[in-house]
Amino acid sequence: MKSKSMESIMKTIFFISATVSIIAIVLICIFIFAGGVPFIAEYGLKDFLLGREWQPSDTPASFGILPMITGSIYVTIGAIILGVPIGILTATYLAKFCNHKVYRFLKPCINLMAGIPSIVYGFFALVVLVPIIRDIFGGTGMNIITASILLGIMILPTIVNISESAIRAVPQSYYEGSIALGASHERAIISVVLPAARSGILSSVILGIGRAIGETMAVILVAGNQARMPAGLTKGVRTLTTNIVMEMAYAADEHRQALIATATVLFVFILIINGTFLIIKRRANNG
Amino acid sequence: MKRFLGLLLIFTVVMGIISGCSNNSDGFKADRTINVVTREEGSGTRGAFVEIVGIIEEDENGEEVDRTYEEAIVQNSTNAVMTTVAGDDYSIGYISLGSLNDTVKAVQIDGVEATAENILSGSYKVSRPFNLAYKGDLSLVAQDFLNFILSSQGQEVVANEGYVKASIQTPSYEAIGSHSGTVVVAGSTSVTPLMEKLAEAYEKLHPDVSIEIQSTGSSAGMQSAMEGTADIGMASRDLKDSELAELTNVVIALDGIAVIVNNNNPIENLSLENLKSIYMGEITSWSEIE
Repeated sequence: MKSKSMESIMKTIFFISATVSIIAIVLICIFIFAGGVPFIAEYGLKDFLLGREWQPSDTPASFGILPMITGSIYVTIGAIILGVPIGILTATYLAKFCNHKVYRFLKPCINLMAGIPSIVYGFFALVVLVPIIRDIFGGTGMNIITASILLGIMILPTIVNISESAIRAVPQSYYEGSIALGASHERAIISVVLPAARSGILSSVILGIGRAIGETMAVILVAGNQARMPAGLTKGVRTLTTNIVMEMAYAADEHRQALIATATVLFVFILIINGTFLIIKRRANNG
Repeated sequence: MKRFLGLLLIFTVVMGIISGCSNNSDGFKADRTINVVTREEGSGTRGAFVEIVGIIEEDENGEEVDRTYEEAIVQNSTNAVMTTVAGDDYSIGYISLGSLNDTVKAVQIDGVEATAENILSGSYKVSRPFNLAYKGDLSLVAQDFLNFILSSQGQEVVANEGYVKASIQTPSYEAIGSHSGTVVVAGSTSVTPLMEKLAEAYEKLHPDVSIEIQSTGSSAGMQSAMEGTADIGMASRDLKDSELAELTNVVIALDGIAVIVNNNNPIENLSLENLKSIYMGEITSWSEIE
């Protein structure tokens, strides 16, 4: 009898624990949408999303976030171009090529990369990357290229770890079969194992995109943060996240609402990205 | 063969990084573009800077437009501005005078150095007063608080917070009247941090007094003082004539803004006019400054 009641108590505790996270996400949703939607409705969705001017201290103020949306997209694409090939090749190397000794050294290194606080990445980029980029391209050194390189490095652990487990999850028989058919080690991996792991690799890329688009503290230090339409690879850029952090401290009234509305747009972006991730995962499980 | 190729690759990468890092000591080139660094919208320092330098413009309809150069780098803290300027030979930025240190160089404005004395005498142009204003007679406790602010103890707090004292000679604080009650202080968001520190110091002396601070903005603060909803109004600017007609004002501190450049930059002096042109993007290269 006693163990039975104990069991039901524990069951309730587990249930409560499970609901806490759900409640948290529901509350976040409510707060973000309740805070952002009224402003968007008042200012006009089209003016807000497609407006090219962000001038909160002018009278009348203008709150167009198209520069920030394109800025976010540009740096994310840059990060993907730099980070994805390196990430996938690293994952392949870790899973299929490297010997045990190297693996024991490399794997903790990559896990450590995931644990480094983003502000530390930001300072590293500010004192190391920015001067190098400034020497090569001139100008301020704070631009789309710098931000992309930084984000490319930051999404590596996500891509490497998920891709590696995806590659390891491919049945050994695929590899053995292609070796038996006369393929070399490299060929078996590139043409058989990697394609078989593609849905897992694609998920890693999508999570990497999520990480890149949501990254804030590191980007804020090296992106230049100019609130105008991106003007070129060697010009500064402001992303959605940095726009919020940058101005939240002093913002009041309408300005503050506009920033919360920016968060709403960002939230919708993340929902779309995670939705895509779920669809790909489900499709992979069915197929 | 494979191993050799791998080693060669690592060698080239390392050499590339080393050569990339070592060629930045060629001295200052005046024909390079000026890398303008500014603060984010809504920052008190930016608000003061654009107003004093005249970057914010008001057109005939009363619409105010901040004309800061759109290529300017935006950083959201004093430290980030200083790190940026310290790391880039060709950049220019501005910070509150109290935060200045030797990692960067403050330039003279119209030939006047940014020092506390010059701000006090009014010859250094990029500065603003922190005003307190009240209507009619103050209550005893409010008057006592004001006396405390202007006393040497109060001005000590001002100096510790990095601002310039309102006057060099200050009387020592002597308590008058009763020490219980509430004082409502409302106004400028820029004065608020200083006022919080002053209130803290005062409440330590008189635990029965509570000082309520409302951070609403300079104009709103003057309005509350005129309407009587606040005992004292705070403004981070000179009072307008309409406000002076109804209110008595006291300057409690001065806030100076230092214009900073990299230590390698040979420039020593900038005119206010040039500073304005730089921040509006009309002058874009160091050689254009005479």
